[in-house]
Amino acid sequence: MTPGANWNCTGVVSVHKEDKEMKVLSKALILAVVILGLEIPCYAEKIVVEGSTTVLPIAQKAAEVFMNSNPGADISVRGGGSGVGIASLIDKNCNIADASRAMKDTEYEKAAGNGVDAKANVIAMDGICVIVNPSNNIRAMTKKQIKDIFTGKISNWKDVGGSDEKIVVISRDSSSGTFEAFGELVLKGEKVRPDALLQASNQAVASTVSRTPGAIGYVGLGYVSSSVKAVDVDGVKASKETVLTGTYSIGRPLFMYTNGVPKGLAKQFIDYILSPEGQKLVEEEGFVGLR
Amino acid sequence: MKKVFKKIINSIKNFFNRMADQEAERIIDYYSQIFETKSDEGGVNERIKTNACRISKFYSIPLEKEERKMKKLVLAILLVGFISFSFATGPRLSCAGEVDILLQKLVEKGILTPGEAQQIGTETKEQVKKEIAKGTYSSLPSWVQNTKLKGDFRLRYQLDHAKTLASGSGTTTTNNRNQARIRLRLGLESKVNDKILVGVGLATGKDDASTIDKDQARSTNQSLGNGFSKHPVTLDYAFVQYSPVSWATIIGGKFKNPLWEPGDLIWDTDINPEGAAVKLTKKLNSKIDLFLTPGIFIIDEYSDEGEDPIMGIMQAGITSQFTDTVSLKTAVSYYDAANVKDLTLDGTTGTNSNTTSSTSGKLLYGYQNIIPAVELTIKEPFKKLGLSLPYLALFGEFVDNVSSSVKQDNTGYMVGLKFGAEKIEKWADWQVRYNYAMLGRDAILDILPDSDRYGGKTGMRSHELMFDWGLGKNTWLGLDYYYGWQLKGNFGSQQSKPASVIQVDWNVKF
Repeated sequence: MTPGANWNCTGVVSVHKEDKEMKVLSKALILAVVILGLEIPCYAEKIVVEGSTTVLPIAQKAAEVFMNSNPGADISVRGGGSGVGIASLIDKNCNIADASRAMKDTEYEKAAGNGVDAKANVIAMDGICVIVNPSNNIRAMTKKQIKDIFTGKISNWKDVGGSDEKIVVISRDSSSGTFEAFGELVLKGEKVRPDALLQASNQAVASTVSRTPGAIGYVGLGYVSSSVKAVDVDGVKASKETVLTGTYSIGRPLFMYTNGVPKGLAKQFIDYILSPEGQKLVEEEGFVGLR
Repeated sequence: MKKVFKKIINSIKNFFNRMADQEAERIIDYYSQIFETKSDEGGVNERIKTNACRISKFYSIPLEKEERKMKKLVLAILLVGFISFSFATGPRLSCAGEVDILLQKLVEKGILTPGEAQQIGTETKEQVKKEIAKGTYSSLPSWVQNTKLKGDFRLRYQLDHAKTLASGSGTTTTNNRNQARIRLRLGLESKVNDKILVGVGLATGKDDASTIDKDQARSTNQSLGNGFSKHPVTLDYAFVQYSPVSWATIIGGKFKNPLWEPGDLIWDTDINPEGAAVKLTKKLNSKIDLFLTPGIFIIDEYSDEGEDPIMGIMQAGITSQFTDTVSLKTAVSYYDAANVKDLTLDGTTGTNSNTTSSTSGKLLYGYQNIIPAVELTIKEPFKKLGLSLPYLALFGEFVDNVSSSVKQDNTGYMVGLKFGAEKIEKWADWQVRYNYAMLGRDAILDILPDSDRYGGKTGMRSHELMFDWGLGKNTWLGLDYYYGWQLKGNFGSQQSKPASVIQVDWNVKF
């Protein structure tokens, strides 16, 4: 009963009315809570993302932003390499395997043998630009010439049509995904010349090349600025479009493999990476977004 | 003649036009199916499906002159592309060619963005690759699908060098022994169903019908010689394993040692224990894994009514991944060897305290061990210094026999490091390992430690240096050097009796 309500006929009726209103209000509140509860995404789920060190910065950044806006979501991201991630997916130890290469036939067979239906989800492209100092008159090179420069077979710019100047080779350190991609797509397994200057980041490579007249280096497409000059490779200029269409040859797709079509939190996470916001993160990390 | 020629040309044109139409429809059907099965990510597929339908309509609606020209061009490209790829690369790649051509056209028409085309194209190729791999796999007989066969072969040269001081005379006797040895191991594992696995392994080595010495359990080597006689192949392991849930595995029979050890201070790696064990694992979070392994190992069995010697084991451990490059694995184990006192165990080296100080003596003490162990692994440890070393591991292990009956010489330890490649997988991969070990004569049962380290004895100290060099995939050279000596005080002896072993191995795995 409402405090102060009078014990007269009218009062009783008014109290009953208030009770009724309260009941209706309560029901409406409960209904609203239920509806809202259904509407609010429930991420009381945990997923493990493991694999490629190239994809790692994308996965880490995306997981961080995704978990900030979805506090219930628990996404654990680890590196280890593409092979490790794929093996982990095959052994059902992770939900998403990051890979900077496609799965091998033997891995698909192994997955099938373990009852895992490996599904490729392309989340971005890795495009690598070969850059020189802006003072260099070289505008284009073949992939073979680039390989010969980085492996030490060519050491003077005059051998590729430039001025008589010693080539200073700038490379990423061996733990970087860009180094791994460059080694695979350009050097074809050969080693970078031992006197190459190793830098710990794309930004550091770009800065060194911009300061050193005879320098050559390579960076992710997102790190090309006016302080360096990107050379055409095999007659193709590096751009988002040429990487996406595959006409620029120093590019590769980046994958997130799942067991079957992604579901639950794994699907939410991959969808987020493929969303405009996620693709913006991809480009901020120096990769080529799909959108 | 001119009319006939014109008719032939028209017939050819009609033929190609019909083929082009059919081919285009076939390709569109194919992609409609792909779009139907693809999960909808952000409504993109719905758009693609709509656009695919729009394309279908494109071929049936009345066409303007320019569109007709375009249609012919598209179909000609599709046809030429399809036929070229079919003839040049077979059915698998012809599909990949179709994908590229169609996607290129869809991009040109502004229906797909280059990114969407790249995504669909790559994922479709992967899907085709997977279907082919699955097909290859499922065409195999089921017993082959469920069975894995593996093996390895090792060719070894071994030099044993020992020095002994002859009693009374004061002269030192040197003994050198050269051996060529082989080791062959064949293993087979077969899945009975999703939860049960059976494993069988055969290996060279002595069978247990001959006199039981340290080599029966602790060696799979076969020394070459003996008048070109045939050599025995023995049952190395045979087990059944049941995994009711992903975090628990129960194993019984004769099996690979389920206990983790960073070195081989306690267990010779050739020992395959017998009995039963349970392996429990729990991933606490992305950085921490826990494991617990309880079990019972049967040491021996006697036909009389006496209690048989058995060993109860329990190991609890944790793996912590501090960063992407630094991890730490630690474990504490407890072993209780029950009913061993007053027995002579098969495979003894006679260095545990016993009644006669020989391999025939009966054990004077009980053996209950507490064993903490730790291994720190760092990948690219010297990256900041510009040095390229992929892997470094530092490890240590301590053992204490806490049995109340033993009062001295009851501890041991090993410290060591490994560096180089984490695994030897290809040409020029290399790894160096070193350890220093000490085992008091009653620290552990003398039927357990590495048979190459000072003859598998307790009451010793040793250095071991190993070097592996990759020759290619699944094959490598190994060099192993042991130098050990007796702990004089443990045996009341005046001699340290140093001994060294050099092993040069060529290993192949298959």
